[in-house]
Amino acid sequence: MTASTASSGPSAVRAPAPRSMVGRRRLTSRRMVDIVSHGYIWLCLFVFVTPFLALLVYSFTGPGGTYAIENFQYVLGSFGENLWWSLRISGLSIAIDLAIALPAAYAIVRYPVPGKRLIFSVLSLPLYVPGAVIGLSLVITYNFTYHLTTSMWGLVFAMVVGTFPLMLTPIIVALKDLPIAFEEAAECLGAGRWTTFWRIVFPLIGPGVSAGLMLAFIIVFNEYLVTLFVHPSEITTAPLRIFNLVRTAGLLPTTAALAVTMQLISLASVLLFFRVFGTRYFKGTYLI
Amino acid sequence: MSTVRLESITKHYGQTVAVDELSLDVADGEFVTLLGPSGCGKTTTLRMVAGLVEPTDGRIFFDDQDVTDIPPRKRNIGFVFQTPALFPHLSVADNIGFGLSVKGSSKSAIAERVEVMLAMVGMPGYGRRLPAQLSGGQQQRVALARVLATDPRVLLFDEPLSALDKNLRDTLKYSILELQRRTGKTAIYVTHDQSEAFAISDRIVVMNAGRIEQIGTQTDIYLHPRTPYVAEFIGANNGLPGTVSGHVGEGDDARVLVEAGGHALRARGRDGFAAGDAVVAYIRPEDIQILDGEGGAHFENVLEGTIDRVIFEGPTAQLRVHVGGRELRVDVSGNQRLTLMQRDGRIRLGFDDITLIAAPG
Amino acid sequence: MATPLTVPLPQLQRETRGRERRARLVPLALLGPAIAVTLLFLYYPLVFIVRMSFTLADTFLRPTGAVTTISNYVAMVDRYLPNLLVTLQLASLATLVDLVFGVPFAYVLVRKVRYRNLVRAFMVFPMFGALYIAFGMRFILLPGGPATPLFEALGIPNTSVLYSLPSVVFAMSIFTFPFMVMNVGTALSNVDPTLEEAAACLGARPMQTFRRVLLPLTRAGIVAGALMVFGWSLGTFAEPLLLGSVNEQKTLAWTLYLKGVIQLDYGLSTAMGVVLLILAFAVTYFSLRYSRGALVE
Repeated sequence: MTASTASSGPSAVRAPAPRSMVGRRRLTSRRMVDIVSHGYIWLCLFVFVTPFLALLVYSFTGPGGTYAIENFQYVLGSFGENLWWSLRISGLSIAIDLAIALPAAYAIVRYPVPGKRLIFSVLSLPLYVPGAVIGLSLVITYNFTYHLTTSMWGLVFAMVVGTFPLMLTPIIVALKDLPIAFEEAAECLGAGRWTTFWRIVFPLIGPGVSAGLMLAFIIVFNEYLVTLFVHPSEITTAPLRIFNLVRTAGLLPTTAALAVTMQLISLASVLLFFRVFGTRYFKGTYLI
Repeated sequence: MSTVRLESITKHYGQTVAVDELSLDVADGEFVTLLGPSGCGKTTTLRMVAGLVEPTDGRIFFDDQDVTDIPPRKRNIGFVFQTPALFPHLSVADNIGFGLSVKGSSKSAIAERVEVMLAMVGMPGYGRRLPAQLSGGQQQRVALARVLATDPRVLLFDEPLSALDKNLRDTLKYSILELQRRTGKTAIYVTHDQSEAFAISDRIVVMNAGRIEQIGTQTDIYLHPRTPYVAEFIGANNGLPGTVSGHVGEGDDARVLVEAGGHALRARGRDGFAAGDAVVAYIRPEDIQILDGEGGAHFENVLEGTIDRVIFEGPTAQLRVHVGGRELRVDVSGNQRLTLMQRDGRIRLGFDDITLIAAPG
Repeated sequence: MATPLTVPLPQLQRETRGRERRARLVPLALLGPAIAVTLLFLYYPLVFIVRMSFTLADTFLRPTGAVTTISNYVAMVDRYLPNLLVTLQLASLATLVDLVFGVPFAYVLVRKVRYRNLVRAFMVFPMFGALYIAFGMRFILLPGGPATPLFEALGIPNTSVLYSLPSVVFAMSIFTFPFMVMNVGTALSNVDPTLEEAAACLGARPMQTFRRVLLPLTRAGIVAGALMVFGWSLGTFAEPLLLGSVNEQKTLAWTLYLKGVIQLDYGLSTAMGVVLLILAFAVTYFSLRYSRGALVE
């Protein structure tokens, strides 16, 4: 690259660099690479957010091209029932998820179970089955064997089986990080296993549990695919409603408003979680 | 084989100044060590010489070629890191040959060179092994071979021994020195370990807070520190703040009179000090003698104090003496250190060598 | 002299064995609900549809017994091979796009970016679901929508972009992008940055460093990411429907829905489901072999 010009030998005296140069950024190739790198990141992030922003803008438009918040009022009104179902199904699902994931995680981490890895793989399998296959298999089974097609619980358990592995991982991570000395100390002090778990272990793995709850909530709340297969005809969750509307009625600002509302609720819960607990418990899951 | 010149090198990280207008000249084939505590800027300076960090200001020259804007891969340097940083997926031979293969050398030329390098670091026949199969010391030796293989013009060492245990450090540092002598390459070495710096350097650059405190040989720095920082950082030292009260004598008998710690001291000052100047009088613990009875009249300075503590250290004994409100440390070796264990109470100390340094601030 | 036992030895041994046996049951009891739910709502249904796929469509409920046949699979190969091919094509393209754009993204994110939490906050958006992405993109690309002026300037009619392969693939790759970044990022963060500096000092150009040092050491993560993306993309729904032309809408997952839920052709749809399942499993199997994520010791 650059080579210094004119040097009359090692004894040549060079004037020191002028003070005004200090701190001024020179446009070297290294700096250019940095700018391009960061620019690339921001470009990608922009692409991520654009669909949401587009819908956001769209949701504020009304008939005749005017900005209207009526769309969001519509959301609460006409779509209110869908939102309500979404929240209800999500709440039930994550509660059941917790009820089965918590003991399972504890067993895997704290007990010498034979074939642990196999069991973990077996329990994680739903993550690797395409949603359409889960949906189809469940709707057929509900039809012929379980007769759950008209009950809300059919939908709930369809959600549970798909999301409980996602809850398992953060709880396992949290348990592994918890030194067993705490439980041993409690036992030496006279506490039984049940007491020890609820008074010592559970509070200390709170962040991991919350991470799992939040992940499961986000997924169930926004789920439309398996729901499409399995839902009883009276129950339409909000994402499903959106899906149906977009396919049949085309694009409407009200639908966009609902989509925006869903994403905002999801975003709020994610940010809240990050704020309170940090990002440690997402290792090994969807987010880095 | 190059000379290295740093001209007013500065590095700012936001508001923090890591390196402040540092200038340095390293002769061809010289072994220079940057010595200082963590955070003094020595590693940052080294990385700027390598090109891994861009200086905020200043220029760097290899043999009068301005390399400041040249990326590391084009500077033809050899950088030895704190960890061996061997490529874990490549064999020892492939690691050593890496620099040559990226330049497109022929396979046979690389293989030959690898053999030579392995012999040079005393590990012939290790070519097929993987880094994970080597000990820490062996890995660092392979790292040495790897940088030497490309025949760089400057060798840069970033605390290469700090991750190794003591015995290994001792043997390996002499290996590094021997390799440098054999290949005749200019070397800049960074460490916080004084004994390491003293063992292998031609010159030592004492750094503090991004600036050079003093450059010199081992004896320069130890016997003639120029700043209070160097006096206290290198070895142990007793510092008595005081004021110059006058001069006496001429030529070889010239003495500077100093009032320090409530005592009148006589120092052989070579630098000019005027009456009234604030100075610090430094006396090395090993330069202070314990006086028996009334003896010691031949000493320039005699002080009396009370023994606070005697610490037996093995080869030496350390004495803490209260003298006029300050605590002096005296190091004693030989038989004296055994007799001292019984002493208590008053004690007389005699010494000649005082280094006077202008007080800071 | 040993103190005599207050309880005879055989009884003591029995009690200990009993206690041990009960202790061994505890973890099984803890795992019970999880295993039960998975068995009831995943494994049994899957077995069910496998069985069904080998049954002649209308004979399943016949009291005289179902007829076993492979005619469903034959029909699949005969008439629905294009659907399978479209599915594979879309998944492959989405994986390719994610590789090309995701690997550099992961590199910059892991090596250069300090504001990682901010990036994570943005990366949650795709996670909410492909539905919103597809919906949003459709809005953008509609005639009369925000992108129209750009298309007019370039002289491309909207519909050719909107209902086309590229927009479907683009939307799919947005959704799965975080998967790729996560896998590659984890692998990269396990590589000592000093290795890259060492390679640079030894004279390697950035491309050489990438090819000879980074790639071999992160290959497992990259492959795992690619396979994960591919696997998820196989079952995709919303993007082809909302953004694709008739051709893209032939994805197996949607065809499965039409056949199974709308037309109640259980034989054919379950056959498709099984094919989809086998594909996903194959992909997963290889992805897990490459992925380094031993969570359970």
